[in-house]
Amino acid sequence: MKIAVVGKGGAGKTTTSAVLARSLGQRGLPVVALDCDTNPNLGLSLGVGDNETEHLLTLREMLDTGEAEHAPSFGEILERYGTDAPDNVRLAVITRIENPEPG
Amino acid sequence: MIRIAFVGKGGAGKSTIAGTFARLLARRGEPVLALDSDPMPGMPYSLGVAVDDHPIPEDVVVAGSEGQPRWVLRPGLDASEMIARYAAQCPDSVRYLQFGNLWGPVVRLQQAQFAWSQVVAELDAEQWHLVGDLPGGTRQAMFGWAKYADTVCLVVEPTVKSLHTATRLVKLTQAEWGPSRLVVIVNKAQDHADVDRVSKRLAVEPAAVVPHDPVVAQADRQGAAPLDASPAGAFAQSVEALVEQVTALYSRHSHP
Repeated sequence: MKIAVVGKGGAGKTTTSAVLARSLGQRGLPVVALDCDTNPNLGLSLGVGDNETEHLLTLREMLDTGEAEHAPSFGEILERYGTDAPDNVRLAVITRIENPEPG
Repeated sequence: MIRIAFVGKGGAGKSTIAGTFARLLARRGEPVLALDSDPMPGMPYSLGVAVDDHPIPEDVVVAGSEGQPRWVLRPGLDASEMIARYAAQCPDSVRYLQFGNLWGPVVRLQQAQFAWSQVVAELDAEQWHLVGDLPGGTRQAMFGWAKYADTVCLVVEPTVKSLHTATRLVKLTQAEWGPSRLVVIVNKAQDHADVDRVSKRLAVEPAAVVPHDPVVAQADRQGAAPLDASPAGAFAQSVEALVEQVTALYSRHSHP
């Protein structure tokens, strides 16, 4: 299954996504949690902590720096740039805007 | 003149506080223009105007000619004319200009974006106090959508996620185009520990604290402006304190 969670800011998208991902993981299903927010917070709700949430290399950065020149498979990308969250959930972040753009 | 923009995580209370701030400032007899760049605008609720979009017709923009931006206001139409024609009249004489999904056969977001940036760049900053509301998160803020503001107000709930977002947004002041002042308002505080949590994490003393107020939650359910639902309640008092603080910052600045 592929589920996207949407809604207004503050409605509880991130919290719902995290509980959903971990609940599925607890049932023994392999789960990938993808944070597609440019202000990514999903790691906090999954329970991986502040630092890991802030410093997890994003898939966008990986492509921008050309680290993945041989275009690895989705599985390899997750392996290299994702992080483990509780209940067998693998977390990956697409992009993060953390600094003001120049000019 | 005050030029302030409200930023923060989604749901932190930016629109609610910004709209109330605009009205309380206007009650002092000041001319206030509320600027809403959120494509899903929340400001009408707190301003107390109809929630429907306040549309800008699509014929306000034309394709720019050589050397101009891609889309420009049509000849003869300038920022003050845009405000006169399309800024909604709100309670307390606030005028409200919405980012404006341009309405025509289709919603033309890109045209609206160019029209918006031209209006904001060209409007007479000596004529209006500007009170802006941005969408939640970091995207618009980091891409310079609040360049019109010299003060940014960071709205923070005492939650881990809201604080995490706030630590990203304080970096706005490092941009060369960034605001010269950053003020923090704590929203939905339940106790002193909540306020400490914010001031410790951001290393900034909050300019104002809005206590958790059930009246605001009730107004949110009914679609009423908190200022009208409870004109002298805790929420209105806290935002009034913010208006007082911000006004003082500006008067110190101009009369050293």
